[in-house]
Amino acid sequence: MKGNLDGFSGSTEHPTAAVLVIGGGISGMQSALDLANAGIKVYLVESSPAIGGKMAQLDKTFPTNDCSMCIVSPKLVEVGRHRNIDLFTHSEVKGLTGEPGHFTATVVRHARYVDIKACTGCGLCEIVCPVTQISHFPALPAEGEKKTRARAKEKSIIKGPGLPRPVTSHKWTFSVETTACGMCGGCHKACLHGAVSWEKKQVAVIDQEKCTGCGACFLACPDKFKAIAIADAPDLDKSLGAAVQARSQLLKKEFAGTEQKDCIRCGLCAVTCDKVMNIGALKMVEEGIEAGVDICQVCGACASVCPVNFLSIDQVTNKTPRPLLNSFNEGLNGRKPINIHYPQAVPRVPVIDEKSCVRLNTGACGICGSLCGVGAIHYDHREEETEIAIGSVIFSPGIEVFDAGRRGEFGYGLYKNVVTSIEFERLLSASGPTSGTVSRPGDSKHPKKIAWIQCVGSRDHSCDRDYCSSVCCMYATKEAFIAREHDASIEPTIFYIDMRSFGKNFDNYVTRAKDHKVRFIRAMVSRIFEDPVTGDLELRYVDGSGERQAETFDLVVLSVGIQVPQKAKELAGKLEIDLDRYGFVVTDGYQPLATSRPGIFVSGAVKGPKDIPETVCEASAAAEAASASLAAARGSLITAEALPPERQILPGEELRIGVFICHCGTNIASVVDVEKVVEYAKTLPGVAYAEHPLYTCSQDSQERMREIITEHRLNRVVVSACSPTTHEPLFMSTLRQAGLNKYFFDMANIRDQCSWVHPDDPGLATEKSKRLTRMAVANATAGEPLQEMEFTVDSKLLVVGGGLAGMTAALEAARQGFGVYLVEREPQLGGQLLHLQRSNDGRRFVDFLADLKEKVLHNDKIRVFTSSEVVEQSGFVGSFETEIVMPTGGTRTLKHGAILVATGAEEYRPEIHGLGWLDTVMTQTDLEAELEKEPKPQWQKLRVAMLQCAGSRDAEHLPYCSRICCNQAVKNGRRMKTLYPEARIDVLYRDMRCYGLSELDYAAARREGVNFIRYDPEENPVTITAMESGIDISVIDPSIRTEVRLKPDILVLSTGMKPRDAEELASMLRVPRNDAGFFIEAHAKLRPVDLPSEGLYMAGTAHGPKSSSETIVQAQAAVARAVTLLSRKSMKMSGVVSVVDPTNCAVCLTCVRACPYGVPFINDQHSAEINPALCQGCGICVAECPAKTIHLGRYDDRNIRAKIESYSGT
Amino acid sequence: MLPCTGRIDESLLLKAFENGADGVMVVGCLEGDCHYVSGNIRARARVKRVYEILDKIKIGPDRIRMFNLSAGEGSKFAAYANEFVGKIRELGPSPINLARGGQVHAASQKETT
Repeated sequence: MKGNLDGFSGSTEHPTAAVLVIGGGISGMQSALDLANAGIKVYLVESSPAIGGKMAQLDKTFPTNDCSMCIVSPKLVEVGRHRNIDLFTHSEVKGLTGEPGHFTATVVRHARYVDIKACTGCGLCEIVCPVTQISHFPALPAEGEKKTRARAKEKSIIKGPGLPRPVTSHKWTFSVETTACGMCGGCHKACLHGAVSWEKKQVAVIDQEKCTGCGACFLACPDKFKAIAIADAPDLDKSLGAAVQARSQLLKKEFAGTEQKDCIRCGLCAVTCDKVMNIGALKMVEEGIEAGVDICQVCGACASVCPVNFLSIDQVTNKTPRPLLNSFNEGLNGRKPINIHYPQAVPRVPVIDEKSCVRLNTGACGICGSLCGVGAIHYDHREEETEIAIGSVIFSPGIEVFDAGRRGEFGYGLYKNVVTSIEFERLLSASGPTSGTVSRPGDSKHPKKIAWIQCVGSRDHSCDRDYCSSVCCMYATKEAFIAREHDASIEPTIFYIDMRSFGKNFDNYVTRAKDHKVRFIRAMVSRIFEDPVTGDLELRYVDGSGERQAETFDLVVLSVGIQVPQKAKELAGKLEIDLDRYGFVVTDGYQPLATSRPGIFVSGAVKGPKDIPETVCEASAAAEAASASLAAARGSLITAEALPPERQILPGEELRIGVFICHCGTNIASVVDVEKVVEYAKTLPGVAYAEHPLYTCSQDSQERMREIITEHRLNRVVVSACSPTTHEPLFMSTLRQAGLNKYFFDMANIRDQCSWVHPDDPGLATEKSKRLTRMAVANATAGEPLQEMEFTVDSKLLVVGGGLAGMTAALEAARQGFGVYLVEREPQLGGQLLHLQRSNDGRRFVDFLADLKEKVLHNDKIRVFTSSEVVEQSGFVGSFETEIVMPTGGTRTLKHGAILVATGAEEYRPEIHGLGWLDTVMTQTDLEAELEKEPKPQWQKLRVAMLQCAGSRDAEHLPYCSRICCNQAVKNGRRMKTLYPEARIDVLYRDMRCYGLSELDYAAARREGVNFIRYDPEENPVTITAMESGIDISVIDPSIRTEVRLKPDILVLSTGMKPRDAEELASMLRVPRNDAGFFIEAHAKLRPVDLPSEGLYMAGTAHGPKSSSETIVQAQAAVARAVTLLSRKSMKMSGVVSVVDPTNCAVCLTCVRACPYGVPFINDQHSAEINPALCQGCGICVAECPAKTIHLGRYDDRNIRAKIESYSGT
Repeated sequence: MLPCTGRIDESLLLKAFENGADGVMVVGCLEGDCHYVSGNIRARARVKRVYEILDKIKIGPDRIRMFNLSAGEGSKFAAYANEFVGKIRELGPSPINLARGGQVHAASQKETT
């Protein structure tokens, strides 16, 4: 395969410095951010209405139990706001032409029917849309034919327990327009209350005393007259549908909590069906409602406007209603045709579903359009095609879950209480369909006994899913763990084949789960039977001793595997990239991000199943791979923000605060009396201006805010609206654009903290809003302008460690255009790879290594220092100084902007089972070397035993799983079988952790005759006596339940990997390592190659054991992260940093000890000093300082005091 | 709202009582999960000291409590808030407010995250 690394590097002149990223999941988002932050323009195309992908659907993440949405939402916001990322949601790539460096992509934006720029995401449209079902729209009239309504032939009367009890509250007033009246008497006949008097050839008259406001007269009046007028109906000026919703809401409030079972004859259902939906299937009659069940379009509007739940959709139709299901919640609850993908969606803009929207299909309804406060809804939207010029492409469309219905024996789809793991994830989620209450879909009962069945659609040849899905063992453990956190009485059981917890800290997590009463049973479940009465489920399986077992559970979760969606396969076809038989993108182990088509790169699970950190890592790596060849044009297509100079606020200048109280559509204003809050705000000291915009965040409001700041010479701004987490950056940038220092700002959250949590007490919610606003005003008053310090960035990179990771990183950073210092402790480059022989696909590492070394040594951007060591390190992000000792004994100081730690790991060689003193006992690496030597005839019939986890997952040796040993044993076993087909190979294992696509190699090894015997250190230990006279092994083979005795000629130990000594380096860099000595990443999920201090990155086995291919990915990822820093000439630091006022500093060292980042130091002026470039702004030192002489802008004592003091004021 | 509960100190917490709070809840990240490594552990110690001071000066130690939550636990937060407010209602207005006689905020509280 021709890869991209050599394929076109430097071959294009003036490439287009833009990248098309396909897929807006965590992979696409990470790629987009790394590219855009490195001066490359990004077009991010996502097929669903919002970015976020699968990660946004997850509840918690393993192995840290971090809340998935909490950690992903800042990324969503960052992508959404990034000025160099153009977001195409609800869009698709149609085609790609051109060459690497100069592609043209055709992107289709599907019609969304909502203007993304105008929409503020208030969600009102979704609330007022009355449609809940998949409708059967009436056939459109043939061309030239007049549209006529169908007449009902089949009628059914819907009755309550008693007769209808008409209500007159919030009633509309109906009157006859004398001039229009056709004097037909229809209204008179229709009125059930005798309120309409009429005589032949006379105009009808409505007696308002008798009228109940049901509107029967209005419906009966023929269209040709339209003589009945409506008055006193709120929102009627917008549309009749809007008025129906308004009255429905008022009546719903009135009847909330009452046990009203009878029709209240409000008439809203009939009015809606006839005049809003243009069907006319409902009619008010004496006993209740008469439904024309054959003409009903089953939209569900009548039921949703009914204030008392008198109507249900199945009563009004003769068809089977099919509710619209929320795909984000995996169909566990309903949705409307106009729908915001999920609450935190970016963009938070709904899409109208063409298939189910009444307006788009019949031209009726249109309630949402009439009510949208910013006019964002356009029913005439059409799809748009755009051509974009790009230099490369990243393909990261993501995955879907296996269709569990294909494993019929588990009854998914038939048994209601059998769910998939992703459905269970939504059931756990606080923002899911059950608000995080674990309940059975069948009967909403709280389940006690829950079973997980592993490998549903994984490791399964029968449904063509031979591969392992990599993530299921861990997510099932997590779900079981979290389920118990939700409800401690839950008893979870996981049925599994092998526990593949191969990642960093995964085994610890499984152990913790066991401690938290999660039961693990190694068994394959053969069938599930449902008890039709209780809905409980009986699982049948064969246990470890061969006994048939049956156990009953309340709920069963199928741990479904992951697969490539058909649409992604089709798109790959259009892009002309090769896929394997399962649809995963084919790549080369040495160039793991390059697809078969030069210029197109791949990332994420579409390249093989993987978890979030690996995906994030690959996403960064793909960004690096895609941009390396575009480096020459870096920065040519991005735009920087032009800002006016900042206005200096003079000391003693009059305080002029502007206060904006947001309606947020009806989100806030329906509960909080915003006008009262505005009036109140005007009375606060210093407030010069106050208003209440409908949507403070909308584009026109922001425009207006800028004008108001100038016009009213405001010098402070307060916004009382929603959450500062999502909106503060927007408002602060508006301040800056208006020439104000952006820290002259504060925000009160009167939506989440007032209207949303106190909807039933508008009075108190308003009072609380006033108070929060008052506190924000006080804080803004105490505000000071903060300066964001700017530092120059040295563009060179220091790489510590010259193994595979270090060399790859050096070479890639050089391709990105940056100078590199590569420091290696040993006399030669190569690291652990020098001791390994072949990659999993059988190529020799020695050739690859020679080529890599050659390139590194001859690259004029890379300066290599072998036999050299880092001895001293100082400086901060963007400007580090590192001293190294060279072989001559001399030292040299290197200046650089970033550091990449790639110190690696080595094979662990414990003195067990005769390793080190018996020739017949060796490690896997030793065996690999033996297999490369001249063929040995005496090995033809060799008996080989391989012992897995020899010194791994063992508290006395390496307590962790080394991840690579199972695959190494499979690789060596197969190689052995190829060279010496007669040899006998027995692999003694605990769990074969051949994750992802390497499961295929494991299956092949079994087919080729390698024998696998499972042991367990506690329940079924292996007894090994290794002497010079021979090796004797005995163990019970669980598959035949018989003791097996082996007398191998050689014993091969899979010993695992331990990190190389990097203790001194870690302490110099002030970065943490875990108990085993591997470096700890800044965030286990989303910052897998960043070290916790800014400007420091890591790659390769220094992070944890991994394969050569994974090491290359990580090295490229770390370079991508470093380039986001190195590509900047200078960087700005947050203004919110701690500053020591030396006047009162007693040099007590409290701050030095308290700072979690070790930033404060004592300077030569005999005072503590805090480097603003290193300060993280937590404020711990400020609180600890006994002299109170450290200040933190925005969160200083004066600010907090101002808030506290104003809290009780009036 | 604070960057970290590690930012608050005893004087600020006492200031809240001085300014009419009947109870103060401090809400930080889960222990071991602090965004700033150890700020919430320090906050816990400070809350404990204020607890002791409140006990000594007879305002009632139970008027201050620290809670630990992750950002995804909205409903738990609500439950904690309701529980704490209930507790403060039981205790009634703080002696400071009673002594001042005038402005008494029933079960008022101050939130910091």
